[in-house]
Amino acid sequence: MQTLNFLREIKYLFIRGLKQSLRPVPALIPSLFMPAFFLIIFSAAFTSLINLPGFSGKSYLVFYAPVAILQAIFFSSGDAGIDLVVDITSGYFDKLLIAPIRHVSIIIGKLIGVGLRAAVQAGIVILIILLMGGKIVTGLPGLLVILLLGGLFGMAWSGIGMTIALLTKNQRATQSSFILFFPFTFITTAQLPLSLLSGWYKTAVQLNPVTYILEAFRSLTSNGWQTHTIWVGFMVAAGVAVLTIGSTLLSFRKTVS
Amino acid sequence: MSEHSIEVNHLVKKYGGFTAVNNISFTVAKGDFFGFLGPNGAGKTTTLRILSTLLRKTSGEVKVAGYDVDREPNAVRRKIGFAMQDISLDNLASGWENLQLLGVLYGLSPADARKRAGELLGVVGLSKVADKWVTSYSGGMRRRLDLAGVLMHDPEILFLDEPTQGLDPQARRIIWDYLRKLNNEGSTVVLTTHYMEEADALCRELAFIDKGTIVRSGTPAKLKAQLGGEQIILTFGSADQAEKAIAVVTPLLEKETPAVTENRLQATVKEAGKIAPKVITKLESAKLFPASINITQPTLEDIFVKLVGHTIQEEDESNLIKGRDPFVEGRM
Repeated sequence: MQTLNFLREIKYLFIRGLKQSLRPVPALIPSLFMPAFFLIIFSAAFTSLINLPGFSGKSYLVFYAPVAILQAIFFSSGDAGIDLVVDITSGYFDKLLIAPIRHVSIIIGKLIGVGLRAAVQAGIVILIILLMGGKIVTGLPGLLVILLLGGLFGMAWSGIGMTIALLTKNQRATQSSFILFFPFTFITTAQLPLSLLSGWYKTAVQLNPVTYILEAFRSLTSNGWQTHTIWVGFMVAAGVAVLTIGSTLLSFRKTVS
Repeated sequence: MSEHSIEVNHLVKKYGGFTAVNNISFTVAKGDFFGFLGPNGAGKTTTLRILSTLLRKTSGEVKVAGYDVDREPNAVRRKIGFAMQDISLDNLASGWENLQLLGVLYGLSPADARKRAGELLGVVGLSKVADKWVTSYSGGMRRRLDLAGVLMHDPEILFLDEPTQGLDPQARRIIWDYLRKLNNEGSTVVLTTHYMEEADALCRELAFIDKGTIVRSGTPAKLKAQLGGEQIILTFGSADQAEKAIAVVTPLLEKETPAVTENRLQATVKEAGKIAPKVITKLESAKLFPASINITQPTLEDIFVKLVGHTIQEEDESNLIKGRDPFVEGRM
Protein backbone atom coordinates (compact mmCIF):
# COMPACT_ATOMS: atom_id res chain seq x y z
CA MET A 1 0.00 0.00 0.00
CA GLN A 2 2.81 2.39 0.95
CA THR A 3 4.67 1.52 -2.27
CA LEU A 4 1.50 2.15 -4.24
CA ASN A 5 1.08 5.53 -2.56
CA PHE A 6 4.71 6.34 -3.31
CA LEU A 7 4.28 5.47 -7.00
CA ARG A 8 1.07 7.50 -7.05
CA GLU A 9 2.83 10.54 -5.61
CA ILE A 10 5.64 10.20 -8.14
CA LYS A 11 3.12 9.92 -10.97
CA TYR A 12 1.30 13.15 -10.07
CA LEU A 13 4.50 15.06 -9.37
CA PHE A 14 5.94 13.79 -12.67
CA ILE A 15 2.88 15.06 -14.56
CA ARG A 16 3.09 18.39 -12.80
CA GLY A 17 6.85 18.68 -13.44
CA LEU A 18 6.39 17.83 -17.12
CA LYS A 19 3.65 20.44 -17.52
CA GLN A 20 5.85 22.98 -15.74
CA SER A 21 8.78 22.27 -18.05
CA LEU A 22 6.62 22.60 -21.18
CA ARG A 23 5.03 25.92 -20.18
CA PRO A 24 4.91 28.45 -21.67
CA VAL A 25 5.35 26.82 -25.07
CA PRO A 26 7.38 29.72 -26.62
CA ALA A 27 10.01 29.11 -23.92
CA LEU A 28 10.73 25.76 -25.58
CA ILE A 29 11.84 27.37 -28.82
CA PRO A 30 15.47 28.16 -27.81
CA SER A 31 16.06 24.59 -26.66
CA LEU A 32 15.05 23.33 -30.12
CA PHE A 33 16.33 26.24 -32.15
CA MET A 34 19.91 26.11 -30.87
CA PRO A 35 20.65 22.48 -31.83
CA ALA A 36 19.00 22.99 -35.22
CA PHE A 37 20.94 26.23 -35.74
CA PHE A 38 24.31 24.63 -34.96
CA LEU A 39 23.45 21.65 -37.14
CA ILE A 40 22.58 23.80 -40.16
CA ILE A 41 25.53 26.20 -39.76
CA PHE A 42 28.23 23.62 -39.03
CA SER A 43 27.10 21.10 -41.64
CA ALA A 44 27.28 23.91 -44.22
CA ALA A 45 30.54 25.49 -42.97
CA PHE A 46 32.59 22.32 -42.54
CA THR A 47 31.46 20.41 -45.66
CA SER A 48 35.06 20.12 -46.94
CA LEU A 49 36.32 18.55 -43.71
CA ILE A 50 34.95 15.18 -44.76
CA ASN A 51 37.84 14.90 -47.21
CA LEU A 52 40.22 14.53 -44.26
CA PRO A 53 41.16 11.00 -43.23
CA GLY A 54 39.05 9.73 -40.35
CA PHE A 55 35.71 10.96 -41.69
CA SER A 56 35.21 7.85 -43.86
CA GLY A 57 33.87 10.06 -46.67
CA LYS A 58 30.48 10.61 -45.04
CA SER A 59 28.78 14.03 -45.07
CA TYR A 60 29.53 16.46 -42.25
CA LEU A 61 25.79 16.50 -41.51
CA VAL A 62 26.00 12.79 -40.73
CA PHE A 63 29.10 13.36 -38.60
CA TYR A 64 27.58 16.31 -36.70
CA ALA A 65 24.06 14.91 -36.25
CA PRO A 66 24.78 13.23 -32.87
CA VAL A 67 26.08 16.58 -31.55
CA ALA A 68 22.72 18.16 -32.34
CA ILE A 69 20.98 15.34 -30.46
CA LEU A 70 23.31 15.88 -27.51
CA GLN A 71 22.64 19.62 -27.53
CA ALA A 72 18.89 19.05 -27.51
CA ILE A 73 19.35 16.98 -24.37
CA PHE A 74 21.60 19.59 -22.74
CA PHE A 75 19.15 22.40 -23.43
CA SER A 76 16.06 20.49 -22.31
CA SER A 77 17.50 19.10 -19.09
CA GLY A 78 19.23 22.36 -18.16
CA ASP A 79 15.80 23.84 -17.37
CA ALA A 80 15.19 21.42 -14.48
CA GLY A 81 17.30 23.48 -12.07
CA ILE A 82 15.48 26.66 -13.09
CA ASP A 83 12.09 25.03 -12.56
CA LEU A 84 13.17 23.83 -9.13
CA VAL A 85 14.58 27.17 -8.02
CA VAL A 86 11.37 28.89 -9.17
CA ASP A 87 9.43 26.51 -6.91
CA ILE A 88 11.78 27.20 -4.02
CA THR A 89 11.73 30.98 -4.31
CA SER A 90 7.96 31.13 -4.87
CA GLY A 91 7.28 29.03 -1.76
CA TYR A 92 5.62 26.26 -3.78
CA PHE A 93 8.38 23.88 -2.72
CA ASP A 94 7.28 24.43 0.91
CA LYS A 95 3.71 23.62 -0.09
CA LEU A 96 4.91 20.27 -1.43
CA LEU A 97 7.01 19.67 1.67
CA ILE A 98 4.02 19.97 4.01
CA ALA A 99 1.98 17.51 1.96
CA PRO A 100 1.93 14.06 3.58
CA ILE A 101 4.17 12.49 0.95
CA ARG A 102 7.66 11.03 0.82
CA HIS A 103 9.74 14.09 0.08
CA VAL A 104 12.03 12.25 -2.30
CA SER A 105 9.09 11.78 -4.68
CA ILE A 106 9.36 15.52 -5.47
CA ILE A 107 12.82 14.93 -6.99
CA ILE A 108 12.03 11.56 -8.56
CA GLY A 109 8.90 12.93 -10.24
CA LYS A 110 10.92 15.82 -11.61
CA LEU A 111 13.70 13.54 -12.87
CA ILE A 112 11.29 11.32 -14.78
CA GLY A 113 9.76 14.42 -16.37
CA VAL A 114 13.23 15.64 -17.34
CA GLY A 115 14.12 12.27 -18.87
CA LEU A 116 10.94 12.16 -20.92
CA ARG A 117 11.35 15.73 -22.13
CA ALA A 118 14.99 15.09 -23.09
CA ALA A 119 13.96 12.01 -25.08
CA VAL A 120 11.13 13.88 -26.82
CA GLN A 121 13.35 16.84 -27.72
CA ALA A 122 16.04 14.48 -28.99
CA GLY A 123 13.34 12.84 -31.10
CA ILE A 124 12.33 16.21 -32.56
CA VAL A 125 15.94 17.01 -33.46
CA ILE A 126 16.29 13.57 -35.09
CA LEU A 127 13.26 14.44 -37.19
CA ILE A 128 14.98 17.65 -38.28
CA ILE A 129 18.13 15.64 -39.13
CA LEU A 130 16.07 13.25 -41.24
CA LEU A 131 14.35 16.15 -43.00
CA MET A 132 17.80 17.60 -43.81
CA GLY A 133 18.80 14.36 -45.48
CA GLY A 134 20.52 12.65 -42.56
CA LYS A 135 19.97 9.02 -41.57
CA ILE A 136 19.79 6.78 -38.54
CA VAL A 137 21.71 3.77 -39.81
CA THR A 138 20.56 1.52 -36.98
CA GLY A 139 16.90 2.14 -37.89
CA LEU A 140 13.98 2.15 -35.49
CA PRO A 141 15.66 -0.01 -32.83
CA GLY A 142 18.63 2.36 -32.91
CA LEU A 143 16.30 5.34 -32.60
CA LEU A 144 14.75 3.83 -29.46
CA VAL A 145 18.21 3.24 -27.97
CA ILE A 146 19.14 6.88 -28.75
CA LEU A 147 16.02 8.09 -26.93
CA LEU A 148 16.76 5.80 -23.98
CA LEU A 149 20.34 7.01 -23.69
CA GLY A 150 19.16 10.58 -24.23
CA GLY A 151 16.63 10.26 -21.42
CA LEU A 152 19.23 8.80 -19.07
CA PHE A 153 21.80 11.46 -19.85
CA GLY A 154 19.13 14.17 -19.60
CA MET A 155 18.33 13.06 -16.05
CA ALA A 156 22.05 12.93 -15.24
CA TRP A 157 22.71 16.43 -16.58
CA SER A 158 19.68 17.90 -14.80
CA GLY A 159 21.23 16.85 -11.50
CA ILE A 160 23.84 19.61 -11.82
CA GLY A 161 21.26 22.39 -12.14
CA MET A 162 19.07 20.92 -9.41
CA THR A 163 22.01 20.63 -7.03
CA ILE A 164 22.92 24.28 -7.60
CA ALA A 165 19.24 25.24 -7.19
CA LEU A 166 18.99 23.43 -3.86
CA LEU A 167 22.28 24.75 -2.53
CA THR A 168 21.92 28.39 -3.59
CA LYS A 169 18.14 28.94 -3.85
CA ASN A 170 19.12 31.59 -6.34
CA GLN A 171 17.87 31.85 -9.90
CA ARG A 172 20.92 33.56 -11.37
CA ALA A 173 23.33 31.12 -9.76
CA THR A 174 21.26 28.22 -11.07
CA GLN A 175 21.05 29.72 -14.53
CA SER A 176 24.83 30.13 -14.58
CA SER A 177 25.21 26.33 -14.69
CA PHE A 178 24.39 26.80 -18.39
CA ILE A 179 28.03 27.70 -19.07
CA LEU A 180 29.03 24.10 -18.33
CA PHE A 181 27.36 23.24 -21.61
CA PHE A 182 30.25 24.74 -23.61
CA PRO A 183 33.23 22.74 -22.31
CA PHE A 184 31.25 19.55 -21.97
CA THR A 185 29.87 19.80 -25.52
CA PHE A 186 32.80 21.20 -27.44
CA ILE A 187 35.77 19.54 -25.71
CA THR A 188 34.62 16.31 -27.29
CA THR A 189 34.74 14.70 -30.70
CA ALA A 190 31.95 17.07 -31.72
CA GLN A 191 33.84 18.74 -34.59
CA LEU A 192 36.57 16.23 -35.43
CA PRO A 193 37.09 12.52 -34.87
CA LEU A 194 39.51 11.51 -32.12
CA SER A 195 42.11 10.35 -34.65
CA LEU A 196 42.52 13.94 -35.88
CA LEU A 197 43.04 15.42 -32.41
CA SER A 198 46.37 15.75 -30.59
CA GLY A 199 48.15 17.09 -27.50
CA TRP A 200 46.40 18.31 -24.37
CA TYR A 201 43.17 18.83 -26.24
CA LYS A 202 42.99 15.16 -27.15
CA THR A 203 43.63 14.24 -23.51
CA ALA A 204 40.89 16.64 -22.36
CA VAL A 205 38.49 15.14 -24.89
CA GLN A 206 39.28 11.64 -23.65
CA LEU A 207 38.70 12.72 -20.05
CA ASN A 208 35.36 14.32 -20.84
CA PRO A 209 32.63 11.77 -20.09
CA VAL A 210 30.34 13.41 -22.64
CA THR A 211 32.72 12.25 -25.40
CA TYR A 212 31.67 8.65 -24.75
CA ILE A 213 27.97 9.47 -24.81
CA LEU A 214 28.48 11.39 -28.04
CA GLU A 215 30.35 8.45 -29.58
CA ALA A 216 27.52 6.13 -28.58
CA PHE A 217 25.07 8.44 -30.35
CA ARG A 218 27.41 8.57 -33.37
CA SER A 219 27.55 4.81 -33.48
CA LEU A 220 23.76 4.62 -33.50
CA THR A 221 23.25 7.41 -36.04
CA SER A 222 26.04 6.78 -38.53
CA ASN A 223 28.56 4.05 -37.67
CA GLY A 224 26.18 1.15 -36.97
CA TRP A 225 25.81 -1.20 -33.99
CA GLN A 226 29.21 -0.79 -32.29
CA THR A 227 28.11 -2.66 -29.20
CA HIS A 228 31.14 -1.77 -27.07
CA THR A 229 30.88 1.96 -27.84
CA ILE A 230 27.14 1.98 -27.11
CA TRP A 231 27.62 0.03 -23.90
CA VAL A 232 30.37 2.40 -22.73
CA GLY A 233 28.07 5.34 -23.50
CA PHE A 234 25.36 3.90 -21.26
CA MET A 235 27.84 3.09 -18.49
CA VAL A 236 29.28 6.61 -18.55
CA ALA A 237 25.78 8.17 -18.56
CA ALA A 238 24.84 5.97 -15.60
CA GLY A 239 28.06 6.92 -13.79
CA VAL A 240 27.41 10.64 -14.32
CA ALA A 241 23.82 10.09 -13.17
CA VAL A 242 24.99 8.45 -9.95
CA LEU A 243 27.23 11.44 -9.23
CA THR A 244 24.86 14.26 -10.17
CA ILE A 245 21.60 12.74 -8.93
CA GLY A 246 23.44 11.61 -5.81
CA SER A 247 24.53 15.18 -5.17
CA THR A 248 20.97 16.39 -5.87
CA LEU A 249 19.57 13.99 -3.31
CA LEU A 250 22.21 14.94 -0.74
CA SER A 251 21.50 18.65 -1.29
CA PHE A 252 17.78 17.94 -1.08
CA ARG A 253 18.27 16.09 2.17
CA LYS A 254 20.29 19.00 3.54
CA THR A 255 17.59 21.44 2.48
CA VAL A 256 14.68 19.58 3.99
CA SER A 257 16.27 18.29 7.20
CA MET B 1 -7.69 12.26 23.37
CA SER B 2 -6.39 15.64 24.33
CA GLU B 3 -8.80 18.53 24.41
CA HIS B 4 -6.07 20.61 22.81
CA SER B 5 -5.32 20.87 19.12
CA ILE B 6 -1.89 22.26 19.84
CA GLU B 7 0.39 21.79 22.83
CA VAL B 8 3.70 23.61 22.91
CA ASN B 9 6.09 23.29 25.82
CA HIS B 10 9.33 25.24 26.18
CA LEU B 11 9.81 25.64 22.45
CA VAL B 12 13.17 27.07 21.42
CA LYS B 13 14.47 27.78 17.94
CA LYS B 14 18.02 29.04 17.50
CA TYR B 15 19.89 30.00 14.35
CA GLY B 16 23.51 29.85 15.41
CA GLY B 17 23.81 32.40 18.23
CA PHE B 18 20.47 34.03 17.49
CA THR B 19 17.37 32.88 19.35
CA ALA B 20 14.30 33.35 17.15
CA VAL B 21 11.88 31.60 19.53
CA ASN B 22 12.79 31.73 23.17
CA ASN B 23 11.22 29.11 25.41
CA ILE B 24 7.55 29.63 24.64
CA SER B 25 4.72 27.46 25.93
CA PHE B 26 1.06 27.63 25.00
CA THR B 27 -1.94 25.49 24.16
CA VAL B 28 -4.73 25.96 21.67
CA ALA B 29 -8.05 24.32 22.48
CA LYS B 30 -9.94 22.37 19.84
CA GLY B 31 -12.16 24.68 17.82
CA ASP B 32 -10.46 27.81 19.09
CA PHE B 33 -9.47 30.85 17.06
CA PHE B 34 -6.00 31.69 18.26
CA GLY B 35 -3.85 34.61 17.18
CA PHE B 36 -0.19 35.48 17.45
CA LEU B 37 0.15 39.21 17.48
CA GLY B 38 3.52 40.87 17.19
CA PRO B 39 5.81 42.91 14.98
CA ASN B 40 7.61 41.50 11.96
CA GLY B 41 10.59 39.47 13.08
CA ALA B 42 9.07 38.65 16.49
CA GLY B 43 9.10 34.88 15.92
CA LYS B 44 5.51 34.34 14.74
CA THR B 45 6.35 32.80 11.38
CA THR B 46 9.15 30.68 12.83
CA THR B 47 6.70 29.27 15.36
CA LEU B 48 4.13 28.45 12.67
CA ARG B 49 6.77 26.82 10.48
CA ILE B 50 7.77 24.57 13.37
CA LEU B 51 4.12 23.70 14.11
CA SER B 52 3.57 22.86 10.44
CA THR B 53 6.68 20.59 10.28
CA LEU B 54 8.49 22.88 7.85
CA LEU B 55 11.20 23.83 10.32
CA ARG B 56 12.99 21.70 12.89
CA LYS B 57 12.96 23.04 16.43
CA THR B 58 16.07 23.36 18.57
CA SER B 59 14.39 22.07 21.72
CA GLY B 60 11.04 21.74 23.45
CA GLU B 61 7.98 19.67 22.80
CA VAL B 62 5.39 20.37 20.13
CA LYS B 63 2.27 18.32 19.55
CA VAL B 64 -0.22 19.13 16.83
CA ALA B 65 -3.51 17.21 16.67
CA GLY B 66 -2.02 14.89 19.28
CA TYR B 67 1.04 14.00 17.15
CA ASP B 68 4.64 14.94 17.83
CA VAL B 69 5.90 17.13 14.98
CA ASP B 70 9.31 15.44 14.88
CA ARG B 71 8.29 11.82 15.31
CA GLU B 72 5.10 11.74 13.23
CA PRO B 73 5.37 14.61 10.75
CA ASN B 74 3.15 13.03 8.08
CA ALA B 75 0.39 12.41 10.64
CA VAL B 76 0.58 16.10 11.54
CA ARG B 77 0.57 17.10 7.85
CA ARG B 78 -2.65 15.20 7.18
CA LYS B 79 -4.40 17.17 9.94
CA ILE B 80 -3.21 20.66 9.09
CA GLY B 81 -3.52 23.23 6.35
CA PHE B 82 -0.97 26.03 6.18
CA ALA B 83 -1.54 29.26 4.27
CA MET B 84 1.89 30.79 4.21
CA GLN B 85 2.68 34.48 4.29
CA ASP B 86 3.92 34.47 0.70
CA ILE B 87 1.19 33.04 -1.46
CA SER B 88 2.61 29.85 -2.90
CA LEU B 89 0.94 28.63 -6.06
CA ASP B 90 2.02 26.90 -9.24
CA ASN B 91 1.91 29.98 -11.45
CA LEU B 92 2.12 28.06 -14.72
CA ALA B 93 -0.99 26.05 -13.89
CA SER B 94 -4.68 26.85 -13.73
CA GLY B 95 -6.75 27.18 -10.57
CA TRP B 96 -8.15 23.71 -11.26
CA GLU B 97 -4.73 22.15 -11.67
CA ASN B 98 -3.39 23.77 -8.52
CA LEU B 99 -6.20 22.41 -6.39
CA GLN B 100 -6.41 18.98 -7.95
CA LEU B 101 -2.70 18.26 -7.51
CA LEU B 102 -2.93 19.16 -3.83
CA GLY B 103 -5.99 16.97 -3.49
CA VAL B 104 -4.32 13.85 -4.89
CA LEU B 105 -1.14 14.48 -2.90
CA TYR B 106 -3.29 14.48 0.23
CA GLY B 107 -4.73 11.10 -0.77
CA LEU B 108 -7.96 12.00 -2.57
CA SER B 109 -8.82 10.05 -5.71
CA PRO B 110 -8.63 12.14 -8.92
CA ALA B 111 -12.45 12.16 -9.10
CA ASP B 112 -12.81 13.27 -5.47
CA ALA B 113 -10.06 15.86 -5.91
CA ARG B 114 -11.88 17.30 -8.91
CA LYS B 115 -15.19 17.38 -7.04
CA ARG B 116 -13.66 19.03 -3.99
CA ALA B 117 -11.74 21.52 -6.14
CA GLY B 118 -14.98 22.46 -7.90
CA GLU B 119 -16.74 23.05 -4.57
CA LEU B 120 -13.94 25.17 -3.18
CA LEU B 121 -13.48 27.21 -6.35
CA GLY B 122 -17.17 28.07 -6.01
CA VAL B 123 -16.82 28.93 -2.33
CA VAL B 124 -13.91 31.31 -2.94
CA GLY B 125 -15.61 32.80 -6.02
CA LEU B 126 -13.09 31.66 -8.61
CA SER B 127 -15.19 29.26 -10.70
CA LYS B 128 -15.21 31.60 -13.70
CA VAL B 129 -11.42 31.86 -13.85
CA ALA B 130 -10.65 28.30 -12.78
CA ASP B 131 -9.26 27.36 -16.22
CA LYS B 132 -6.92 30.33 -16.45
CA TRP B 133 -3.32 30.25 -15.36
CA VAL B 134 -2.71 31.68 -11.94
CA THR B 135 -0.35 34.31 -13.38
CA SER B 136 -3.45 36.18 -14.59
CA TYR B 137 -5.03 36.34 -11.10
CA SER B 138 -5.10 39.48 -8.92
CA GLY B 139 -3.55 39.47 -5.45
CA GLY B 140 -6.92 38.87 -3.78
CA MET B 141 -7.76 36.02 -6.16
CA ARG B 142 -4.39 34.41 -5.55
CA ARG B 143 -4.91 34.60 -1.79
CA ARG B 144 -8.36 33.01 -2.12
CA LEU B 145 -7.02 30.22 -4.32
CA ASP B 146 -4.19 29.65 -1.87
CA LEU B 147 -6.71 29.37 0.93
CA ALA B 148 -8.82 26.96 -1.14
CA GLY B 149 -5.71 24.81 -1.64
CA VAL B 150 -5.14 24.70 2.09
CA LEU B 151 -8.71 23.43 2.53
CA MET B 152 -8.60 20.69 -0.12
CA HIS B 153 -8.12 17.89 2.42
CA ASP B 154 -10.54 19.42 4.94
CA PRO B 155 -7.90 19.94 7.65
CA GLU B 156 -8.77 19.99 11.35
CA ILE B 157 -6.31 22.76 12.08
CA LEU B 158 -5.61 25.80 9.94
CA PHE B 159 -2.40 27.80 10.17
CA LEU B 160 -2.56 31.20 8.54
CA ASP B 161 0.51 33.40 8.40
CA GLU B 162 -0.52 37.02 7.85
CA PRO B 163 -3.51 35.88 5.77
CA THR B 164 -4.66 39.34 4.69
CA GLN B 165 -1.38 41.15 4.27
CA GLY B 166 -1.44 43.40 1.24
CA LEU B 167 -5.16 42.94 0.58
CA ASP B 168 -7.63 45.77 0.17
CA PRO B 169 -10.32 46.19 2.87
CA GLN B 170 -13.00 44.44 0.82
CA ALA B 171 -10.83 41.40 0.07
CA ARG B 172 -9.79 41.32 3.73
CA ARG B 173 -13.44 41.31 4.82
CA ILE B 174 -14.20 38.35 2.51
CA ILE B 175 -11.30 36.35 4.00
CA TRP B 176 -12.36 37.24 7.55
CA ASP B 177 -15.93 36.11 6.94
CA TYR B 178 -14.75 32.84 5.49
CA LEU B 179 -12.33 32.17 8.34
CA ARG B 180 -15.12 32.81 10.86
CA LYS B 181 -17.32 30.36 8.96
CA LEU B 182 -14.63 27.67 9.00
CA ASN B 183 -14.08 28.20 12.69
CA ASN B 184 -17.81 28.01 13.39
CA GLU B 185 -17.88 24.71 11.53
CA GLY B 186 -15.31 23.29 13.92
CA SER B 187 -11.88 24.05 12.48
CA THR B 188 -9.21 25.19 14.89
CA VAL B 189 -7.61 28.32 13.46
CA VAL B 190 -4.21 29.72 14.36
CA LEU B 191 -3.17 32.92 12.67
CA THR B 192 -0.36 35.37 12.91
CA THR B 193 -0.92 39.00 12.22
CA HIS B 194 0.47 42.41 12.94
CA TYR B 195 -2.90 44.01 12.25
CA MET B 196 -4.49 44.81 15.62
CA GLU B 197 -7.98 45.13 14.19
CA GLU B 198 -7.66 41.72 12.55
CA ALA B 199 -6.70 40.08 15.82
CA ASP B 200 -9.49 41.93 17.63
CA ALA B 201 -12.10 41.02 15.02
CA LEU B 202 -11.27 37.33 14.70
CA CYS B 203 -9.41 35.82 17.64
CA ARG B 204 -10.90 34.43 20.82
CA GLU B 205 -7.44 33.85 22.30
CA LEU B 206 -4.40 35.98 21.69
CA ALA B 207 -0.72 35.81 22.47
CA PHE B 208 1.45 38.90 22.21
CA ILE B 209 4.85 37.85 20.94
CA ASP B 210 7.95 40.02 20.86
CA LYS B 211 11.61 39.10 20.43
CA GLY B 212 10.75 35.40 20.42
CA THR B 213 8.91 35.47 23.73
CA ILE B 214 5.21 35.41 24.58
CA VAL B 215 4.76 38.61 26.51
CA ARG B 216 1.14 38.01 27.54
CA SER B 217 -1.77 35.87 26.41
CA GLY B 218 -5.50 35.69 27.01
CA THR B 219 -8.80 36.73 25.50
CA PRO B 220 -8.87 40.20 23.90
CA ALA B 221 -11.26 41.36 26.66
CA LYS B 222 -9.02 40.00 29.40
CA LEU B 223 -5.95 41.59 27.87
CA LYS B 224 -7.71 44.93 27.60
CA ALA B 225 -8.84 44.70 31.21
CA GLN B 226 -5.21 44.28 32.20
CA LEU B 227 -4.50 47.82 31.05
CA GLY B 228 -6.52 49.02 34.00
CA GLY B 229 -9.78 50.08 32.39
CA GLU B 230 -11.03 52.65 29.91
CA GLN B 231 -9.63 55.90 28.68
CA ILE B 232 -11.37 59.13 29.79
CA ILE B 233 -10.49 62.09 27.58
CA LEU B 234 -11.45 65.71 28.39
CA THR B 235 -10.96 68.41 25.78
CA PHE B 236 -10.86 72.04 26.93
CA GLY B 237 -11.01 75.35 25.10
CA SER B 238 -7.38 76.09 25.96
CA ALA B 239 -4.22 74.44 27.21
CA ASP B 240 -4.35 76.70 30.27
CA GLN B 241 -7.74 75.29 31.30
CA ALA B 242 -6.48 71.74 30.79
CA GLU B 243 -3.50 72.45 33.06
CA LYS B 244 -5.80 73.86 35.75
CA ALA B 245 -8.07 70.82 35.50
CA ILE B 246 -5.26 68.41 36.53
CA ALA B 247 -5.41 69.39 40.18
CA VAL B 248 -9.21 69.20 40.19
CA VAL B 249 -9.49 65.82 38.50
CA THR B 250 -6.53 63.93 39.97
CA PRO B 251 -8.15 63.10 43.39
CA LEU B 252 -10.93 61.24 41.53
CA LEU B 253 -8.59 59.08 39.46
CA GLU B 254 -7.42 56.22 41.69
CA LYS B 255 -3.77 57.25 42.04
CA GLU B 256 -3.32 57.94 38.32
CA THR B 257 -2.07 61.33 37.25
CA PRO B 258 -3.72 62.39 34.00
CA ALA B 259 -1.60 63.14 30.97
CA VAL B 260 -2.05 66.51 29.26
CA THR B 261 -1.41 67.10 25.58
CA GLU B 262 -2.10 70.74 24.65
CA ASN B 263 -5.81 71.19 25.53
CA ARG B 264 -6.52 67.47 26.07
CA LEU B 265 -6.44 65.72 29.39
CA GLN B 266 -6.37 61.93 29.34
CA ALA B 267 -6.42 59.26 32.05
CA THR B 268 -7.02 55.52 32.41
CA VAL B 269 -9.75 54.56 34.89
CA LYS B 270 -11.48 51.34 35.84
CA GLU B 271 -15.08 52.52 35.87
CA ALA B 272 -15.20 55.51 33.61
CA GLY B 273 -19.02 55.55 33.53
CA LYS B 274 -19.19 56.14 37.29
CA ILE B 275 -16.29 58.56 37.50
CA ALA B 276 -17.21 60.81 34.54
CA PRO B 277 -20.26 62.52 36.21
CA LYS B 278 -18.19 63.21 39.34
CA VAL B 279 -15.42 64.71 37.20
CA ILE B 280 -17.89 67.03 35.46
CA THR B 281 -19.47 68.16 38.75
CA LYS B 282 -16.06 68.87 40.25
CA LEU B 283 -14.92 70.79 37.17
CA GLU B 284 -18.13 72.88 37.17
CA SER B 285 -17.60 73.88 40.77
CA ALA B 286 -14.05 74.93 39.80
CA LYS B 287 -15.56 76.91 36.90
CA LEU B 288 -13.83 74.73 34.31
CA PHE B 289 -16.01 73.61 31.43
CA PRO B 290 -14.67 70.95 29.05
CA ALA B 291 -15.71 71.26 25.40
CA SER B 292 -16.09 67.48 25.23
CA ILE B 293 -15.73 64.37 27.32
CA ASN B 294 -15.04 60.99 25.71
CA ILE B 295 -14.80 57.52 27.16
CA THR B 296 -12.99 54.94 24.96
CA GLN B 297 -12.12 51.28 25.30
CA PRO B 298 -8.39 50.56 25.16
CA THR B 299 -7.22 49.03 21.90
CA LEU B 300 -4.94 46.01 21.62
CA GLU B 301 -2.32 48.46 20.36
CA ASP B 302 -2.53 50.30 23.70
CA ILE B 303 -2.01 47.04 25.57
CA PHE B 304 0.89 46.01 23.34
CA VAL B 305 2.66 49.33 23.78
CA LYS B 306 2.14 49.18 27.55
CA LEU B 307 3.52 45.64 27.77
CA VAL B 308 6.35 45.81 25.25
CA GLY B 309 7.29 49.47 25.15
CA HIS B 310 7.01 49.96 21.39
CA THR B 311 4.33 49.80 18.74
CA ILE B 312 3.58 46.65 16.77
CA GLN B 313 4.53 48.38 13.53
CA GLU B 314 8.16 48.64 14.61
CA GLU B 315 9.97 45.66 13.17
CA ASP B 316 12.36 43.69 15.27
CA GLU B 317 15.49 44.92 13.55
CA SER B 318 17.80 42.56 15.39
CA ASN B 319 16.16 39.76 13.47
CA LEU B 320 16.23 41.55 10.14
CA ILE B 321 19.86 42.58 10.41
CA LYS B 322 20.90 39.00 10.92
CA GLY B 323 19.07 38.14 7.69
CA ARG B 324 17.51 34.91 8.80
CA ASP B 325 17.04 32.48 5.96
CA PRO B 326 15.00 29.40 6.78
CA PHE B 327 16.21 27.63 3.62
CA VAL B 328 19.81 27.97 4.65
CA GLU B 329 19.16 27.34 8.30
CA GLY B 330 17.45 24.03 7.71
CA ARG B 331 14.00 22.62 8.10
CA MET B 332 12.18 19.40 7.62
